[in-house]
Amino acid sequence: MSKQGWLRPTLFAGAAAFAFATAAQAEEPIRIGVIGEESAVAGASLTRAAAMAADDINAHGGVAGRKIELFTYDDHSSAADAVRAFQRAVSQDHVVAVVATYISEVALALEPWSARLHIPFITTGAASNEISRQVHEHYDRFKYTFHGWLTSAFIAQSICDAEHDLLVEPFRMKTAVIMSEDAAWTTPLDVRYEECLPKAGLQVLDHIRFNPDTTDFAPIFRQIEAKKPDVIITGISHVGVQPTVQWRDQQVPIPMAGQSSQATTSTFWKDTNGAANGVITASAAAPGVAITPLTIPFSEAYQKRFGDSPSYSGYTTYDAIHVLADAVKRAGSTDADKLVAAMEQTDMVGTVGRWQFYGRNDQFTHAIKYGPGLITGVTLQWQDGKQVTLWPAGAANGKVKFPSFIHLPAASN
Amino acid sequence: MLALQILIDGFAISALYGLGAVGFTLLFGVSGVLNLAHGGIMVIAALIGWQAAGGLGLGTWLGSAVGVLAALVASYATYFVVVRPIQRSRAIPREETEIFVLTGTLLWGIMIQVGMAYFYSDNPVTMRPLIDGVTNIAGVRTPTNEILIAVISWVAIGLLWLLVNRTRAGKALLAASINPRGLVLLGFELDRIYLMVWTIYGVLAGIAGVLLASFLGVGTSNIGNLTASAFSIVVMGGLGSVSGSLVAAYVVGYLETFTAYEIAPTLRPIPALILLVLVVYLRPQGLLGRR
Amino acid sequence: MARALRSPALWIALVLLLLAVSLPWWVSAYILGVLTVSYYFGVFAMAWDLLFGFANEVNFGPTFLIGLGAYTAGILDNTLGPPIFVCVAAGALVAMIGGVLLALPALRLRGPYFGLVTLVAVLLLQNAIVIFASVTGGEIGMNVNDILSVNAVTNYWIALVFIAVCGALLFGLSRSAVGLILQASGQDAIEAAALGFNVTKHKLAAFCVSALFSGLAGAMLVFYEGTASVGTVIDIAIAVQIIIAAVLGGRRTILGPAIGAIILVLAGEELRQLGQLNTFVVSAVALAVILFFPDGLLGHLLRRGERG
Repeated sequence: MSKQGWLRPTLFAGAAAFAFATAAQAEEPIRIGVIGEESAVAGASLTRAAAMAADDINAHGGVAGRKIELFTYDDHSSAADAVRAFQRAVSQDHVVAVVATYISEVALALEPWSARLHIPFITTGAASNEISRQVHEHYDRFKYTFHGWLTSAFIAQSICDAEHDLLVEPFRMKTAVIMSEDAAWTTPLDVRYEECLPKAGLQVLDHIRFNPDTTDFAPIFRQIEAKKPDVIITGISHVGVQPTVQWRDQQVPIPMAGQSSQATTSTFWKDTNGAANGVITASAAAPGVAITPLTIPFSEAYQKRFGDSPSYSGYTTYDAIHVLADAVKRAGSTDADKLVAAMEQTDMVGTVGRWQFYGRNDQFTHAIKYGPGLITGVTLQWQDGKQVTLWPAGAANGKVKFPSFIHLPAASN
Repeated sequence: MLALQILIDGFAISALYGLGAVGFTLLFGVSGVLNLAHGGIMVIAALIGWQAAGGLGLGTWLGSAVGVLAALVASYATYFVVVRPIQRSRAIPREETEIFVLTGTLLWGIMIQVGMAYFYSDNPVTMRPLIDGVTNIAGVRTPTNEILIAVISWVAIGLLWLLVNRTRAGKALLAASINPRGLVLLGFELDRIYLMVWTIYGVLAGIAGVLLASFLGVGTSNIGNLTASAFSIVVMGGLGSVSGSLVAAYVVGYLETFTAYEIAPTLRPIPALILLVLVVYLRPQGLLGRR
Repeated sequence: MARALRSPALWIALVLLLLAVSLPWWVSAYILGVLTVSYYFGVFAMAWDLLFGFANEVNFGPTFLIGLGAYTAGILDNTLGPPIFVCVAAGALVAMIGGVLLALPALRLRGPYFGLVTLVAVLLLQNAIVIFASVTGGEIGMNVNDILSVNAVTNYWIALVFIAVCGALLFGLSRSAVGLILQASGQDAIEAAALGFNVTKHKLAAFCVSALFSGLAGAMLVFYEGTASVGTVIDIAIAVQIIIAAVLGGRRTILGPAIGAIILVLAGEELRQLGQLNTFVVSAVALAVILFFPDGLLGHLLRRGERG
């Protein structure tokens, strides 16, 4: 055979082999680890929404032809379990990124491991400022961590903004008592409350932090009532059913507003036998409210598949999986550093709003940007078995209504 | 005003603590079993009762009855599946039986907690108040339900007292707790006595669980604390002593309430814990316990 | 010494040790990680068995000692930041002091009261951790800034050497003259006292040794995982796992509990894929072990050996 004779077939064979190899590479699924807390309502929402997101993306052809494969773990609300799950996900199941937890303490335990193992990690429910503060202060180490929900500082800010519009103006409320559980996420929350509530028109009369193990709230409510505030501003997540039920049973004449994470779930009404009536809380989204064109289709599909509407962490996790997929597409690879760079450039409309992350020079590096047109969350109130959205004005579908045992400031009426 | 609030709130919570502790200590006194699945059985009553009342539409009173029944079933399960086989096992040396029973009930308690959390999540549930509304007691606004709960707790304890001191079966129970061998010699079957005490235990734990759900709300995440609390009270009162448990329950209940009101809600469990340490160091058999 | 060498348990353990040494060459980093944790658990179980098997004292609160060691080391690292071995030593020391404080009232009691006091100790520590959550991280746990190593193989070697050394010490102790006295005091305190041995002093010594090793292993575990929490070092569930490990492996053999612990941790990890219910399955299996095989693996083997 002449030289030209074997050159072309060889080149052809080589090209074919190369194409075959790249095609085989392209077939390889994108592995993502998901760590949630199956026994907790918010934690279970997380893993379910992740599964839905993966299914939706795969149904539309995956990411550049590659399917998303999820590896799900239950951390039993324990930081140490979460760390072991994280290690397993990385060394055994070879995931390229991890989506995890709504508990701040757990997220903070995973953050150093994400740094040590160089694995992009996004938490979709935790709130502590610490998560993004560490990224800001030690960027090169912690850059793999992203905070996929509003930081406590912005949650507090959104609550101050909402209560100003909903309570101070219409009902002439002037004073408040802060009631929060002693946990990692409420420390920065309370600091911001103390700053922004007076600016919103509510003087802070007292600040009560209680042990998250508390089951008897009577002494706390009596202590609050003795100060005679117009409203109780809450910061509760670990507890929810017990204080709410006792508030109703004892007919504490002061309304509760603020953040009550358990109140954002659809089963809360049943769990409290209707004691939730009148409770105001901030949340990521609420049923029937189209924050974006994607919000309602997601919540309806979730409801159909799982029987309940999603918790706030469901919305954020659904979006976070899409954020990761979008970043992989733009980066053209699952290499950790390239993925991080791509994620920083995220500009994507999700179910809770428009996702963008703060940059290296901002205070809350890698946290979600807060603001109108981006993500603000909503404020809702339980009324007669339904979650009614009150704020922002553009998303509102109802007005504030309080149960009969509440005493409002005399000047309103 | 504050003093009256403390008096009233403390009374109700102590009554509930007492009900839970009394069953626990009776079980130990008569059958020698420290049932570390205690919290689990109480929460089974609460969760099943809640589901029966709401989900199955049976209403509060009937739902509560179903809850108590569920606790009774769980109590029997604990006895027949865990405790009795260990006590009868020939592979375990006699002096180690207690340890194995304790470990067994602990494992059983964990199984209950995880199993119930699987079906109900770890969110607490509440029973609708048995009576709605509030009552004004000398200026202190108290949920009427709270008063009813204290009353029911004491009625249950009173019935227990009647049973133990006035009926033949009850006196046999009492005798069994003092001298089981003597009882056997007199012709009583210990097995029937054990069955009786586990029945009484199941009912008491069930009532306590359902009332707790109605008063404060309770879920699987509270199981550990419930067992620990009953356990501490019983240690302080004296293992096996029913009256000791009641006294200790009130001491603990009032200490906690007073601390929560006057000092700080975060420090609520501390004085009771300090008392526990003191009792363990100075008088380990408890206030009214036998050595 | 010669007596110790004739023990079949020792030979089994040596074979397993050789196997363990060879693992880093053919097993994944993740499995090495699980084994690392299991080795620390093995030390917990061996320390417990020393107290139970030889002083015949059932300690329901080994996690009181472990927790003291773990949290002391962790808090020291977070607040003052001395080198890791200083923190670990401090943890072991505090655990030993805790052991003495626990032993003093506990040893005066008989029957269920002893177990009670140890359980109460765990409750107290658990509550203390939750109340002082600002320092300890409360229920969900705290992070420590330094860890032993990021490398799974390095961590594995550290843990393997640790369990081998502790195992040798504890086993040697159990077969020594002191160990025999302890065993005698445990089985028949009256006779031992009649023979002139100070039973209480020996039991107190056993407590101290058990506490020392428990605290030491607890502190090491914290620096391996980078976190400490009530759920991993204090919870009663952990105490139960340790007791189960000892029962599974064979009580009163020191080495049996170590094997039991390794099996238990491996099984637990394998079952992680069940998600929420893995704890349920492990507990159910443990219950079955108690009901049907209370002698445990090594106990069974050794008993067969004796009869044969």
